[in-house]
Amino acid sequence: MEILTRFLDALVGIYKGSGLSSLDWSNYVMIIIACALFYLAIKKQYEPLLLLPIAFGMLLVNLFPGIMAPPETTLLTEAQCQAQNIDIAGHATTVLNDVTYYHVPENGGLFYYLYQGVKLGIYPPLIFLGVGAMTDFGPLIANPKSFILGAAAQIGIFITFIGAIFFGFTAAQAGAIGIIGGADGPTAIFVTTKLAPELLGSIAIAAYSYMALVPIIQPPIMRALTTKKERAVQMEQLRPVSKLEKIIFPVIVVIIIAILLPDAAPLVGMLMLGNLLKESGVCERLSKTAQNELMNIVTIFLGTTVGATANGKTFLQMQTLFIIVLGLLAFCMGSACGVLFGKIMYKLTGGKVNPLIGSAGVSAVPMAARVSQKVGQEENPGNFLLMHAMGPNVAGVIGSAVAAGVLLNVLQ
Amino acid sequence: MDLATKFTLSASMLLTGFVIVFAVLFFLIFIIWFYGKIVTAGINSAEKRREKKKAAETKKQQEVKVQTVEPVATPKPVSNGVTDEVVAVISAAVYSMYGSTDKVKIKSIKKASGRSAWANAGVLNNTRPF
Repeated sequence: MEILTRFLDALVGIYKGSGLSSLDWSNYVMIIIACALFYLAIKKQYEPLLLLPIAFGMLLVNLFPGIMAPPETTLLTEAQCQAQNIDIAGHATTVLNDVTYYHVPENGGLFYYLYQGVKLGIYPPLIFLGVGAMTDFGPLIANPKSFILGAAAQIGIFITFIGAIFFGFTAAQAGAIGIIGGADGPTAIFVTTKLAPELLGSIAIAAYSYMALVPIIQPPIMRALTTKKERAVQMEQLRPVSKLEKIIFPVIVVIIIAILLPDAAPLVGMLMLGNLLKESGVCERLSKTAQNELMNIVTIFLGTTVGATANGKTFLQMQTLFIIVLGLLAFCMGSACGVLFGKIMYKLTGGKVNPLIGSAGVSAVPMAARVSQKVGQEENPGNFLLMHAMGPNVAGVIGSAVAAGVLLNVLQ
Repeated sequence: MDLATKFTLSASMLLTGFVIVFAVLFFLIFIIWFYGKIVTAGINSAEKRREKKKAAETKKQQEVKVQTVEPVATPKPVSNGVTDEVVAVISAAVYSMYGSTDKVKIKSIKKASGRSAWANAGVLNNTRPF
């Protein structure tokens, strides 16, 4: 009889400790969403390097919420400590109702510790280090006017800020939502962790989803705002850029931006460090590590832990829907402003600039530049806009970091 | 947050963001354009200097060639079309091999008939160290 009782107790204990008793409907909905993201990442290959870890983090945290649990301190009596073989020496004590309790620390979940890299703003600049090591700023140096298009595409951030304010979000939350329009995942995460950490899951997922959907979202906007003649413009070949110019560029950019906008210094600084490692030609090993191993490791940690912030209870709210709608608005506005400024440059240069390269001002590198190339080639098969679009594209990375610096400076 | 505050906040953020982002990036355009000009000018002048130096060196070499080639242009054949210079080179090679001229006497130097390609290949094969 005792054996049976013990067996039943064990079964009850296992049931109580399992997800079957602790999970609610919202967790199951999130598990379904995670599976949908798996489908998009694996079958459709939408930003799989990020979407897959994000989806897996989302899946894990909704199956076992304790994986994100912070470390806790439990109060135990001496008898309880002895029963659990805990050495009481060195533990702080509290006396309640003449009973001495020992403060026994308990470790947090695995993702809690990995998440500190996000929370403390460590991973996004490390991702920028790798991005810098992979980026060729040559097209931007050859045609510095591309910076105008990179700046124009950031207007969507500030217009969306207004929309978010009128949707009832606080100023800090509105800033974090607006940054989705920069189409730059690490920047969005960096700003959100500082301004509205409670919205991190929704904002990160919205930002990366829209980045993945660039080839679907941008072309209709580009076609709607340009004429056939404008789209068919063939641009002159860019001048060759010397190695010395490429080496000086990261140093000058970091000096100027760090002095003018110190809040953007972590992002821009690491971006430019990565680029200098590449362009200097004397740190090949470091450059390769930044581009490959470090970038991959940080991407895994960043993706899984950002996904793990999408717990059913906090994610399935009306405000997540608002964030997704506002994020789409920010992204569309950014693309549209880039194209409109491209049209202005087309007029000012007497038709030498193809306005399609303006949409690449949102940073999603190199996807946005590829979209400019593709839409341009639809009108004129002999048109090669890729290198021209890379200028605004990499300018957009710097522009979104500058916009992030403005938001942090004003709203933090 | 009342409506007036929302309007004020929105307008101020739009203005601040627009002005600062454009100002910083315009400043970068100017700086990049400026140092681009300096670097390009520096590279061009260095290239010009290099070309000048090269041209001067070529001229000098041509002059030296003219000076040295003239006496060689009329070598006196000793025998069978072998010049004094060739005799001197062969004598030096023999001296360097034997270390002295006591036991060795060069009796004649004749121009060998040209080897066939097969013979050259055989010589090459036997004389190549590895």
